[in-house]
Formats: sequence, C-alpha cells, structure tokens
Amino acid sequence: MMDKKTRDILITNFFAVILGLILSGFMILFLGKNPIQIFILLFSSMFRDGYTIGEIFVKATPLIFTALAFAFTFKASLFNIGAQGQFYIGSITAVSVSLMLPSPAAIPLAIILSFVTSGLWGGFIGLSKAKFKANEFLISMMSTYVALNLMNYLLRTVLMESKGEYPQTETLARSTWLFKIVPHTRLHFGFILALLSAITIWLILYRTTFGFRIRAVGQNKEAARMSGVNPERIYIITFIISGGLAGLAGVTEVNGVQHMLLQGFNPSIGALGIGIAILANGNPIGIIFASILFGALHVGGTIMGQLSGVPSSIINLMEGFVMVFVIISYYVRRKWEVSRDKKLLIEGNI
Amino acid sequence: MVSFQGNDMSTPFFELRNISKYFAKVIANKDVSLSVERGEVLALLGENGAGKSTCMKILYGLYQADEGEIYKEGELITIKTPRDAIHHRISMIQQHFSLVSAHTVTENIILGNAKGRIDWKKAQKSIQELADRYGFNVDAGAKVQDLTVGEQQKVEILKSLYLDANLLIMDEPTAVLTPQEIDTLMEFVKEYSSRGNAVIFITHKLREVMHVANRIIVMRSGRVHGNVLKEETNERELSRMMIEHTLQEIDTKQTTVKPGNVSLSVRSLTVAPRREVPLLRDVTFDIHRGEIFGIAGVSGNGQLELCMTLCGAMKSTSGSVHLDGQDITHLSINKRIALGMGYVPSDRHRYGMVMDMSLSENMLLKASYFSTWNRNGVVNRKKLAETTSGILKHYDVKASGPNALARELSGGNQQKVIVGREVEFCGDFIIFDQPTRGLDLGAINNVHTAILNEKKNNKAIMLVSTELSEIFTLSDRVAVFYKGEIQGIYRTSELDSQKIGLLMAGYTHQEVI
Repeated sequence: MMDKKTRDILITNFFAVILGLILSGFMILFLGKNPIQIFILLFSSMFRDGYTIGEIFVKATPLIFTALAFAFTFKASLFNIGAQGQFYIGSITAVSVSLMLPSPAAIPLAIILSFVTSGLWGGFIGLSKAKFKANEFLISMMSTYVALNLMNYLLRTVLMESKGEYPQTETLARSTWLFKIVPHTRLHFGFILALLSAITIWLILYRTTFGFRIRAVGQNKEAARMSGVNPERIYIITFIISGGLAGLAGVTEVNGVQHMLLQGFNPSIGALGIGIAILANGNPIGIIFASILFGALHVGGTIMGQLSGVPSSIINLMEGFVMVFVIISYYVRRKWEVSRDKKLLIEGNI
Repeated sequence: MVSFQGNDMSTPFFELRNISKYFAKVIANKDVSLSVERGEVLALLGENGAGKSTCMKILYGLYQADEGEIYKEGELITIKTPRDAIHHRISMIQQHFSLVSAHTVTENIILGNAKGRIDWKKAQKSIQELADRYGFNVDAGAKVQDLTVGEQQKVEILKSLYLDANLLIMDEPTAVLTPQEIDTLMEFVKEYSSRGNAVIFITHKLREVMHVANRIIVMRSGRVHGNVLKEETNERELSRMMIEHTLQEIDTKQTTVKPGNVSLSVRSLTVAPRREVPLLRDVTFDIHRGEIFGIAGVSGNGQLELCMTLCGAMKSTSGSVHLDGQDITHLSINKRIALGMGYVPSDRHRYGMVMDMSLSENMLLKASYFSTWNRNGVVNRKKLAETTSGILKHYDVKASGPNALARELSGGNQQKVIVGREVEFCGDFIIFDQPTRGLDLGAINNVHTAILNEKKNNKAIMLVSTELSEIFTLSDRVAVFYKGEIQGIYRTSELDSQKIGLLMAGYTHQEVI
C-alpha cells in the first residue's frame, strides 16, 4: 500500500494542476474563445513534429538545473531563490571561457568553471547565513540583481561584440557548441548533463552520509547538531552545490542554445525552477518530469499563440495558477496530517 | 471524572470545566477542571511540560480548547482571542515579555488601546499615577530597553492594570528575577488580590508557592493531580504530588559492581550567560566506571544545562570536564561522540530523533562520520538495515521494521530506539536525561534493564531524573541539584525520599542531615 504522505502529495498536486487549467480556461473564456478547443490545440501542437518534441527537452534542460538548485538547499530547510543570479554568473563564465578558448576543450572547462564560479557566488549566501545568521532568502534574492547588473556591465564593456552595436557577445565558435544528440532538432548534450545531474543529486541526497546529514539538518537541526553535525557548515556546502547547479544552466543555454550571451538572457528560469521544485516536492527525479511538463507547456503555448490568437502568455498564467494551488496544497496536506494525528490521539485515549 | 470545585458553595469567579487540548502529537491538557475565586492567589504547580501554560493560554484565548467550557461567575463564556479575554478582564503576562524595547513605557502600555489622536501627556500622567499607586518605581517616560528585567515585568503588570484586569495570569514570573525583585513582586500579588482581584501564578518552584498562594493546583502530564489549600499542605507533599509516579518495582537486586576508575570528572563547572542568573554554578563531581550517578532535582534546576554542557552543545563559562583523563572542556560535540560519549536527551523529539526519517536513518544519525555503515561516504544500506533490525529486536521495539518512520512509533518505542542507539554505538560514558519520562511501565522496565546492563558492562552512567523512585532504584550515588548548584552528593543509602525532597526544595545539607 502506498503510504499516506505520498498519496496526499499525488492527490493534491493532481488537483492543483487541474484547478490551474480550469482557472486559466476561464481566462480564455474572457477572450471569447472556447477553452476546450484551445487546450486541444495546445496539447496537439506539443507533439506536432520531431523538432517540436525536441524543443520540449531543450526548454526543460535549464529548468532542471534551476529546480535542482532550489531543491538541494530546500532539503536543508534553506531557501535559495537566487538561482537566476547564479545562472547569470554561470553564463558569464561559460561565455568567457568559450570566447577565450575557441576549441572543443572549452566545453569541459566551461562546465567545470561555471560550476565553480556560480558555486562560490552561492556559497557566499551560505556563508553569510552561517556566520552572521543573515536571512538567506533576502541575500539570495538581492544577489540576483547584483549578478544581473554585473552581466549587463560586462556586456557593455569587455564582453561586448566587436561591432559595438548591441549589448551582447560575439557568436561563439562552432567548436565550443554543445553537440546535438538528436539530428534535425536543437536537442543538445546539455539535456544529458541535466539528467545526470538530477540522478547524481538524488544519489547524494539519499545514498550518501553527506546527503543524509543535509536532510537531517533540514528536518531537525537540533538533533543533527546533537549528533555532531555542524549545521552551519552544511549551510555553506549546500549553497555552494546549489549555486553550482544553477550555474550549469548557464553552460547549457550559452553553449547549447544561444551560442552567445546577450542582455535580458532567459530572465525567468530561476523563478520557474522554484515552482518546478515545489511541484516535485523537492524530489530530483520528480524535477525531471515536472521540468519536461513545463517545457512542453511553453513549447505548446508558443505555437498555440501563433495559431489561435490567444496570447501565449496564457501559459505563464496557467503556470502561475498551478504554482499557487501547489503551494496551497502544502497547507492542505499539513491540515490532513494534523487532523489524522489528532484523531489517532483522541481515539487512543478515550 | 474528578472535578475540583471551589471550597465554598458560592460560584467561582472563573472556572474551567473539563478542558482538553490536543496538539498534533501530544495531549497537552486532558479533562482539566479548575476554578479561582475573587481575592484568591491560585498557584498552578507542575513540572515543565505538565500543561500549566497551555491551560492558561486557553483561558487567555491564545489557544482554543478541543473540549470543555469556560465560565465566569457561573455564566458560560467563549474566549476565542486575547481580545475576548481582555473584554472579560483577564490579563496574562507571558514568560517572555511582549514589549517593544525601542518604545517608552507609556507607548507600550497604550499600544493596542490607542485610537485616533493620542494625548501623550495625559496618558503618561495617568500611567505614572497608576505606577505610583502600586509603589512601582518605574518612569512612564523611560524606554523599555533601558529598564532592568524586573522593571520590564512591572511594565507588563502595569499594562494589565491599565486594562482594568480582575484576573491576572502570570507565567513563571520569577524565573528571571533577583531575590529582591521577587519580594516586591510577591508584595504586589498580595496587595492586588486583597482588592478583590484574582491571580493565577504558574510556577514549578515550591518555595514561592508556599510563600504567596492561597490554594495550589498540581498538574502532571496535562492532568490535574491535586487541589489543596496552602494551610493543609507542605513543600514535601507538593513535591511528591508533582513528581512521584507509582513505579512498579523492577528486579534490580542492586546489580553490585565494584566501581572502577574515574571516567568522567567535572571540576567547578559554571555556566553563566552575561547579565543573567548562572545556570550552573561551581559544579564538581566524579563518575566512576561501573557506577550509576544520579542527578536529582525538580526539573529546571540546571539539569538540562549540565547535560548540554557535558555533551558539548553549551559552552561553559569556567571549570573543566575530563573524560578518561582527557580534557574535553573545549571539544566539539562530534569529537566527544568519537571519544565515546553517549547521550539520551530528555526531549527526544527535539534533540534525539529526526521524526520524518526512518529508524535506520535515525540509527545512522550519530554514526554518519564514522565508517560503521559507509564506505567512502556511500551508505551501506543493507548492513544498516540489518543492524537496525537487530537492535529493534534486542530492545523489543514495536515497529514494522527498520524502514518505519520514527514518528509512527509510540513514545516508548521511540525511546527504546534512542537508548539502543546510544548504548550500542557510543562508548563508555552515557548520559540518560529523564530516560523514562512519559513512558508506560513496560517501556520503563525495558529502559531500566538496559541501564543496569550497561552498568554491568562497566560503563560510567549519569542518570538525570525527577522521579525519585527511579533515582533510588538505579543509582549508586546521587547529587541533588537546586538552582544550578549541587546541594550535596550522597550514597543512595544515606537518603530517603523525605530528605531528598527537602534538598530538592532548597534546604541545605545542614538543615536536612
């Protein structure tokens, strides 16, 4: 039998998605369109052809990374909502490495260095939490703006294209692009990297003593401390790894998709990552599927927008609704659990 | 059902009838009935976690009762929020004050009551008058952050007086006060009640109770366990009502082991946070191998701090701790565990277990840095599950298996898991802090047997307990704690429950023996 908690998660998340769809259906109704037709169009356009299906995974790739970044700290009861900024740091590193070293060797180097630089960027958040009891939520949020403006500054100065026209870099040399894994699509090696990362994170969390300590700190910091774990050290290390993961999204987007860095680069993958991680209840394997779902909605939504006249931003709205309901479902689940416990307690004592 | 009514036939001023309150995992109050008369000082006596505060928070509207009713002068009233309580002229002073420290006394007092334009001069004047009337030496214009703790408490009291409260509930009001401040507070309580008001005084200190209360209600594990007039009782009886459990005698036969070398040696250990009353003062004792060293005392007299300092979670101000000859005074928790220190904490939910993890994972908790169950950091789950199963069997834990979540187990079985873990994987010195609190008899026997076994295995054992019968059955020597100090160290045979009761209540060695 499935345990009650997993059952609750599945039930509430299912209803969260359904309610999100229904509510956005109403929005479509306001536009004078038939929501059912639009939804059919949405889902059929996702699987229109091989290229489109490939796009789903292309879109899912960076989301897996940013969601993992959020989930990893979340397991230690920390909030890293600065994945967007860490992604920018990773992007800056990836593009710099690839421009300086226009050869295939740039790819592994970019992967490693992006992880390191964005990891340090994230590690600073953990450090300030550990040393000064700073609020990691605020610090991670504000560090995003610092990273964003650092990127914009670099794009207007040292990284700017030689024409000096737009705030963007030169196009990367072909040799530094991530290779395609399916012909006639844009699907690149970054997706494999994302899958491997998710599996690795799962293994770390659930199969190693290090991951065990992270989860112990997240669930009962005091008991962990009493067992000799130093929660402050865990804060710093988890934030380093979390930042590094978000930074890897920079490599996949720069070397895999855009092949350059430009202003206003993927501005919402950090926020979407948080939503996806929450939808997957922080489970790294669940994150893979939730990211693909979001990728599919985006791809389908864009095509739907072109074909039906319903603005594709309805997709963002739909995601927003789903997120709101998913967050409400945490409250609902807690309520259920408490009332179950209470019932047991009262029955057992009368 | 036992219901304690007032002593005369008149309707009580306030009355709680059959109040029950359940939190997610615990019964906080079960069938609590109590009443207070006008002009009366009622002491609510009990150990930490006995349900005193919960019950009063229900009366003050901070919690909602799951069952039961509240009456004022015979009439059923509903109290859903503190606002309702204030409307019925009830006021409560929390253990931790709710004052805005950057604001003045006046601002704090009229906060929540001010509407529209505030006439500061008038407000300040009326508050100063109020303070003077009760002889409170408080400046209504001073900022709260510049006041001492005792003065801050007076501000809290003034807040209640300003609201015209007729029932004043005080939660552990003397915990933070100096002896002189306590005296002034007691004076105030007497005067306030003599004006036809009622006071409910939550405390676990016997002396204060005898000093100030007219009537005493003793609570234990969320239930009312006694209702006596001050004239008809004494400290000894109260301490017995508070802590004694009818313990089934287990077959101990005082496992006689010849004590070996000194294992743990504590010298002049003091823990004194800045500008606060010391939590531990000049504590010195030795524990030998093969010896059970009992720490007796009413809870909240420094026992928890002693355990925390010994296991490394709390820093000592001065003094030293040696384990098997090695100075461990400044070692981390982790290093102490590596040296073989075991600790069964009194609050197992907070310090002992991770409730949402499996029993296997809870076994791993203390050993995650050791190579017991992992190779290069990868957990050997098979071996871990096997060992856990073995422990579950050996300690007779009722659980579906090593993968069961800790929270699914009953309190007794959770405790057996912790005892098993500490005994099997920690070394030669083990601290048991209230190891049987809240357990049923079967589990108590189980834990006691485990403790005696470890004594036979020549380990040094420190047993902290507020249950005298436990101390008497198990320990070889006893140290009695009162206000963070050792009242005396005795062989168990030198004491009886009367003598130890007096020592626990603060009488000195000379007065008792």
